[in-house]
Amino acid sequence: MPELLEVRDAVAGYGGGPAILDGAALTVREGQIECMIGPNGAGKSTLLKAIVGILPLRKGEIRFRGERIDGLQPHEILRKGICFVPQERALFPRMTVRENLRMGGYVLEDRGELERRIDDVLGRFPILRERASQLAGTLSGGQQQMLSMARTLIVRPTLVMLDEPSLGLAPMIVVQMFEIIGMLRAEGITVLLVEQNALMGLRHADWGVVLDLGRTLFEGPAAEILADPRIQDLYLGRRSRAA
Amino acid sequence: MSDALQILILGITLGGVYALMASGLTLIFGVMRIVNLAHPIMIICGAYVAYWLFNLYRVDPILAMPVAAVFMFGVGLVLYQLVFAKEAASAKYSEMTVLLTFAVALVLDGFLGALFSNTQRVTTPPYATDAIVIGDLFIPTAQLYAGLISIALIGALVVFLQFTRMGYAIRATTQNRTAAALLGVNVGFISLVTFAIGVALAGAAGALVSFVFSFFPAKHWEWIAVLMSLVVLGGMGKLMGTIVGAFALSIVAAFVGTYAGATWSTITFFLALFLVLLIRPQGLFGDPIESA
Amino acid sequence: MKTAGRSAAGAGDVAAVVAARREMNQRLASTRREGRSWGFAIGCLLVLAALPLLQFAGNFNYVLHMALYTFMYIAMASAWNIVGGYTGYISLGHNVFFGIGGYFSGMILASAGISTLITAPAAGAVAAVFGFLVGLVTLRVRGPSFIISSIALLMIARILFDNWDYVGGSNGLSVPLSTLPVEWAKLPYFYAMLVISVLSIAASYRIKHSKFGLGLRALSQDEVKAESAGINTKLYKVAAFAISAFFVGMAGAVWGEYLTYIRPNIFLIILVAANMVLMCILGGKGTVTGPIVGAILLIAFNEFFVAYFGASELNILGTGVIMLLALMFFPLGIVGTLARQGRLPRFLDWD
Repeated sequence: MPELLEVRDAVAGYGGGPAILDGAALTVREGQIECMIGPNGAGKSTLLKAIVGILPLRKGEIRFRGERIDGLQPHEILRKGICFVPQERALFPRMTVRENLRMGGYVLEDRGELERRIDDVLGRFPILRERASQLAGTLSGGQQQMLSMARTLIVRPTLVMLDEPSLGLAPMIVVQMFEIIGMLRAEGITVLLVEQNALMGLRHADWGVVLDLGRTLFEGPAAEILADPRIQDLYLGRRSRAA
Repeated sequence: MSDALQILILGITLGGVYALMASGLTLIFGVMRIVNLAHPIMIICGAYVAYWLFNLYRVDPILAMPVAAVFMFGVGLVLYQLVFAKEAASAKYSEMTVLLTFAVALVLDGFLGALFSNTQRVTTPPYATDAIVIGDLFIPTAQLYAGLISIALIGALVVFLQFTRMGYAIRATTQNRTAAALLGVNVGFISLVTFAIGVALAGAAGALVSFVFSFFPAKHWEWIAVLMSLVVLGGMGKLMGTIVGAFALSIVAAFVGTYAGATWSTITFFLALFLVLLIRPQGLFGDPIESA
Repeated sequence: MKTAGRSAAGAGDVAAVVAARREMNQRLASTRREGRSWGFAIGCLLVLAALPLLQFAGNFNYVLHMALYTFMYIAMASAWNIVGGYTGYISLGHNVFFGIGGYFSGMILASAGISTLITAPAAGAVAAVFGFLVGLVTLRVRGPSFIISSIALLMIARILFDNWDYVGGSNGLSVPLSTLPVEWAKLPYFYAMLVISVLSIAASYRIKHSKFGLGLRALSQDEVKAESAGINTKLYKVAAFAISAFFVGMAGAVWGEYLTYIRPNIFLIILVAANMVLMCILGGKGTVTGPIVGAILLIAFNEFFVAYFGASELNILGTGVIMLLALMFFPLGIVGTLARQGRLPRFLDWD
């Protein structure tokens, strides 16, 4: 039985530039929260972009439920059940909250079902329901992040990949973000999370991966990684910066 | 007073035509960041379709409008695949696209000029020279029909963009191409269709223009500046902004034309453009963030 | 669990990077040859300067005319390149300065009888001042808005000059014919255009290799970053625009007297600007010799085309097709493409 997502020897870069990913590997198991950590420029975001088909691989392979998905277009990968929330939130600023949610279900053919799911999601996020007819560009940073995460619930994907959901948010709001991540898991959705805030990310995760210089350096149960002195020293050391 | 009302009515009907002429341009810019300098010559292509249908088969130019639109839709599909598909995929605005459209404009200009020569033409359906007289007011029928149909078409376009699935996809692609792709929109296909729709709108506008203005291939250079002014004024790629800009400027131009002479009415558009660049470079309806 | 230490991996990478960088530097050094082919440039200049000697052997007025016309476009394309190539602001209405230069000197010639050969620098200066003022407004916006405003500027100029009776309206100005015998009549203009084109190329070369030029190229990449690196981007681009306008204005002044008439539908049609742009693209935008190569090629092509198909709409069609193909398949132009492949002959390498 293949794992949910497997990446092997991934090599990728932007344009004709140097390889940002240089042999990265990754395994994501179904039903878990997996957290990827590493310093700036380690290639974490690049790896997510490669998985979702925004950035083509130069070498290596990506398998989803055992099936090769590298080389597919982003819209095809979404249909396989992988949903990606990039760092820049990826909302449509001049569309309302409801319209943004509707776009979240763009691949659904059944309009009635789509509206039902939108109402369901709005039910779970009262702030969004209050602002359903407000333009997304006018929401606060935290609300925008909430909207982009809530939007993934519309398609009910198998795997959600979040790129630094806590970036630029107040600590209070970050706590809310992790509550939403827990909510995703409760729905049976597997979560792959990239976090700059490594401690926070690993504490909420089942499995951890350390990426640096475009390569996978360590992987293991999140608790073990948290306890590993080498990792503490190299990647969790400066707690003040991480917080 | 009735003078002013008269000018206002002329300005509004003409504004509708300008709005339609510019709407395809705005759509294409919004989705693909392509400033289509060939748009005005495409309008003239549409005008020729209506012109020949009328002169050869006595087809009313209003009835010829869908034919011109469909014909130009096809032209748009082919052109996009041949010239723009590669550039548009980069999704970021590049000066290359504007030069490409400039080259396309030269090609079409030269082609139409060689085919039909640069003589002034106008279709002359029976209503072209009629006017409706209400009291002191005088409304040229051609302009009235063209204005009303334009407004109806723009209305249809807005409904299409606001309420259909494809309309959602087009708007989403306009606002955030990457995000749209991540949500399952085939942005390549959407770009192709949007481009073709934009060109089809040029064709439809052309059929209407054919009995409102006289036209010849080289005329498009003048229209380029006029229509582009509207797009900049509207905040680059924002349909509502362009439409409002078209009406506002047409009305101002109508007043300028009446009191200062027809020559100066065209210059209104350009002066407005420079004023906007001076005071509010992001356009009257643009977001400051997107002006770069 | 992999335990590859970070420092070990880092050290390996550093060694590899250093090796790659060394190789890259060597490659760069091999393309950057020592010295310029000044001999070639001076030789070309001497041959061109001696070209009028042909008149002793027969009537070569056509050759002189073509050479003069080519000089003019070399001057204008090189000037356009300073803005469009180095700075990245595509002006599709650059012949406004051509018209301003032509009309300014033409008016002085018509009213006071002073030859444009004398007033050309002043015409250039007027165009430059005008360019500076316009640039203050239009260069506030980048990309599509700038391009559109450049076209609008041309359209405004066209309407103004078409309706300005003082300068002859759409009929334009007529200036007196040269009193020289017909075989030597072209000579003063020939040398004037030659000088203007040399000046324009020299300016383009000097700018490319100056701190100013570096600043221009930096701001063409990223204006915000250039600004934060201490470059006064606003002043730089407006100055580049004015310098460019200066040479185009001078060319316009001389061209007006040479033609003996100055009309909006000759000076202020977009095809003139299109030619400048296309020459730079064909030859290689942002290179010193690109505009020269492009001008020679495009003019040769146009002559060939006119000879075979007549001066017609087909000419516009042909120009468009070449531009389209060049953009799609040779976006770097001839000089740019050769330079990238490392096969640029030395006499063309002035970058």
